[in-house]
Amino acid sequence: MLKTGTVWKQLSSGWMVSSLTVILSIPFLIGVALLIKSTPLFSSQSLWQLIGTSEWAPSEGRFGFLPFIFSSFYVTILSFLFAAPVCLLSAIYLTQFASPRLSTIMHPVIDILAGIPSVIYGVWGILIIVPFISQVAAPLFGTTSPGYSILAGGIVLAVMCIPYMLNMLIETFRTVPVGLREAALSLGATGWESVKHVVIRKSISGIISSFGLGLAKAFGETLAVMMVVGNMVRLDANPFQAGYPLPALIANNYGEMLSIPRYDSALMFAAFLLLVIILIINLVFRYFIYKAQKV
Amino acid sequence: MNRRKIIEQNIFRTLCGIASYSLIFMLGFIILIIFYKGVGSLSLEMVTKPPSGGYYFGGDGGILNAIIGSLYIAIGATLIAIIFGMPAALYINVHLVKRKKLQNAIRYFLDALWGIPSIVYGAFGFTLMLAMGLGASLLAGIITVALLITPIMIRTFDEVLSAIPMGLHEASLALGSTNTQTAFRVMLKQGFSGFITAVLLAFGRGIGDAASVLFTAGYTDLIPRNLDEPAATLPLAIFFQLSSPIPEVQERAYAAATILTIIILIISLTARTFSRKFTRTSIK
Amino acid sequence: MKTKITIYLLAIGILISGCSTKSQKENTLNISGAFALYPLTVKWAEEYQKLHPEIRINISAGGAGKGMADVLSGTVDMGMFSREIEPEEIEKGIWWAGLCIDAVIPTISADNPYLDEILQKGITRDQFRMIFVTGSIADWGFLTNEANKGIIEVYTRADACGAAGTWASYLDCRQEDLKGIGIYGDPGLAEAVSKNPNAIAYNNTAYVYDINTGQKRPGIEVVPIDINENGTIDPEENFYGSFHSLLAAVSEEVYPYPPARELYFITKGLPVKKSLLDFIRWTLTDGQKYVSDAGYVPEPGEKIVKYLNKTY
Repeated sequence: MLKTGTVWKQLSSGWMVSSLTVILSIPFLIGVALLIKSTPLFSSQSLWQLIGTSEWAPSEGRFGFLPFIFSSFYVTILSFLFAAPVCLLSAIYLTQFASPRLSTIMHPVIDILAGIPSVIYGVWGILIIVPFISQVAAPLFGTTSPGYSILAGGIVLAVMCIPYMLNMLIETFRTVPVGLREAALSLGATGWESVKHVVIRKSISGIISSFGLGLAKAFGETLAVMMVVGNMVRLDANPFQAGYPLPALIANNYGEMLSIPRYDSALMFAAFLLLVIILIINLVFRYFIYKAQKV
Repeated sequence: MNRRKIIEQNIFRTLCGIASYSLIFMLGFIILIIFYKGVGSLSLEMVTKPPSGGYYFGGDGGILNAIIGSLYIAIGATLIAIIFGMPAALYINVHLVKRKKLQNAIRYFLDALWGIPSIVYGAFGFTLMLAMGLGASLLAGIITVALLITPIMIRTFDEVLSAIPMGLHEASLALGSTNTQTAFRVMLKQGFSGFITAVLLAFGRGIGDAASVLFTAGYTDLIPRNLDEPAATLPLAIFFQLSSPIPEVQERAYAAATILTIIILIISLTARTFSRKFTRTSIK
Repeated sequence: MKTKITIYLLAIGILISGCSTKSQKENTLNISGAFALYPLTVKWAEEYQKLHPEIRINISAGGAGKGMADVLSGTVDMGMFSREIEPEEIEKGIWWAGLCIDAVIPTISADNPYLDEILQKGITRDQFRMIFVTGSIADWGFLTNEANKGIIEVYTRADACGAAGTWASYLDCRQEDLKGIGIYGDPGLAEAVSKNPNAIAYNNTAYVYDINTGQKRPGIEVVPIDINENGTIDPEENFYGSFHSLLAAVSEEVYPYPPARELYFITKGLPVKKSLLDFIRWTLTDGQKYVSDAGYVPEPGEKIVKYLNKTY
């Protein structure tokens, strides 16, 4: 009895440890594999040239990734600016002020939206958002726009990230013990004040986590953005014009990969860049959480 | 003083309300559009038959190939995720409970994994596939999707496990069980609802993701018989039907999207009912 | 303990049975590539599998470039290709057979304010080049030698595809030299053009004409190419009225080639699988009868002979 117990224990803890190690080594494996596949690029251009220049002429062997990196950041930050305040306010409303019935209706709605395939968001973007931008929003701001633009990408991404961020924010707010809020109320605080000073304070790390989640998701989203962003290689601060984020680059040109020399390395390098940037974003957000928890 | 507070309260309360209601409105609007456009082409035939040769010209058939392909991939990937992910999550929360720094480091990596875009997994899966000499196939798709959803599963499960009071863990150890026994017999049982939620969440992601299977699973109008054959997936089925010049076929894409959405809805409702059922029996 | 062992054995058993047998592999054909050829190949596969039920054909569309990439990397048995094969690709050992012919045509919105002038005068190849590549013609006023009549909004394909490659080669350049808003996929491009009165783009014939009615789809118009560059569209250059007349012009080689193009099946080296060779030969012979109904031009007889000879 004791013997089988120890053998089983060795086997299963061995299994547990090896599972964990395998899983944790995956980001390294991916990074290394992608980097190895990108090395042919370095023979003609240095790392700084690749990241810092904006000339993109694959058939002449010149790959400047700057416009793509710029577009990716631009689209992501834009979507964040749209989504974060809305999510925060809605989550507060749904958990603190609204009737429970509203919350029970919202949950399936959010889940459905999280599950809708990105192609559909892309189509919705083309049907609704693109004409909206070219016919309503651009004239409002005094410019013209083809509709297919960074702004379109930002809006579509915002809508895609909202279900995830909202879900997480709701869960976070829910974990704040009711007692704490009641204590604040009993001390004379108004509803809003108890939210502002107690609920939000307590959930700061959860809030930051959900923002980080939303950002990472927006940065890496491929299909929906590709359909509305215009796919033009530009370095332009005008959100009403088209852009070309990194994931779109990879998905669009996957086909040309083996026909033009070193194009496959370029795409693998784009994937590598994506990976590295996401890891850095994660690191930054972890740091914020750490700082918030110290308070 | 009081008036200012009340004004502030009202302003914010209205803002929150506006935000929520406009959100609900917009989200509901999107769902309505899809269902509205899709229900028209929805039929029993769509769900029960694979496409015929003229399907993309407007002929008969359905998307059974994609439904089954997606199910195969999602189930296969979820199984792999459970085999590797469940013990990993338990290990973090039981065996490593004393080593906070290591726990944090591991959790950071898991977060990082979760954030990796599915297209990167797709690119990596493609490279792996070539290195292994595998063609576009069910197996390649399963492996890539497994890579994608395992971090999701672990992290969700991990969140639940970390909320379990230490007291339970310590009690189990005090009664003489080993770490492993504590993990499987106590923590797993206690966090079972969370485990199911994690599995369902991972499964839902596995079924709906397009970028990871784009390069790896291929596509076919037939139902795959074994791991070496390419498999159709629902997201790609939607995409190809949208790419057809014929409007009726494009409408069918919406119907396929509706089917996918309904599947996801069923999964998430199940996940929620489960978690509610089990929370009643667990210790708060 | 016993249950553990049985579970592991079961798992291994499932994994092994999950892989195909050798004869199954011999009789399975995996094809991927151009959207342009996809519907036709699917139809061919259906008919062929009726005649040969032991053969399984798996077809996926991901664009011409994906077909090439998949063939070169060994991921599929055969690719569908919708542009000319580049020298570098030939060097890598690509074998090809032409299956049928279709065309890429320049398109504008049916609501274009200058539609009448465009239909009357047409646009020459040089003018196309200045619109799509160099940008030196940027205003619709060029038709009447005026200025500031409206910006020409150029749209192109974002994904690496045969249509863009073919149109680009007509303009003596490559797909990446086409400067315009990149839309993913042919239907998306057709949609974008039909909605924007100032737009100009290019599409596969199948996405402009309805195969059932033979007429252009609502909202989209074809720009006649001024082939002899005399500034007007002569009667013999005016064949865009119906699908039928356009395909006839392509078949008689009145429509320039490119942007008319041959559609190919490609493989890495001469195909080794007997079942694949049989299928290719069938499409070149019996299969050709399905081509016209699908909206393509069948291969001319001499070329069929040439390709059949290549399969030996």
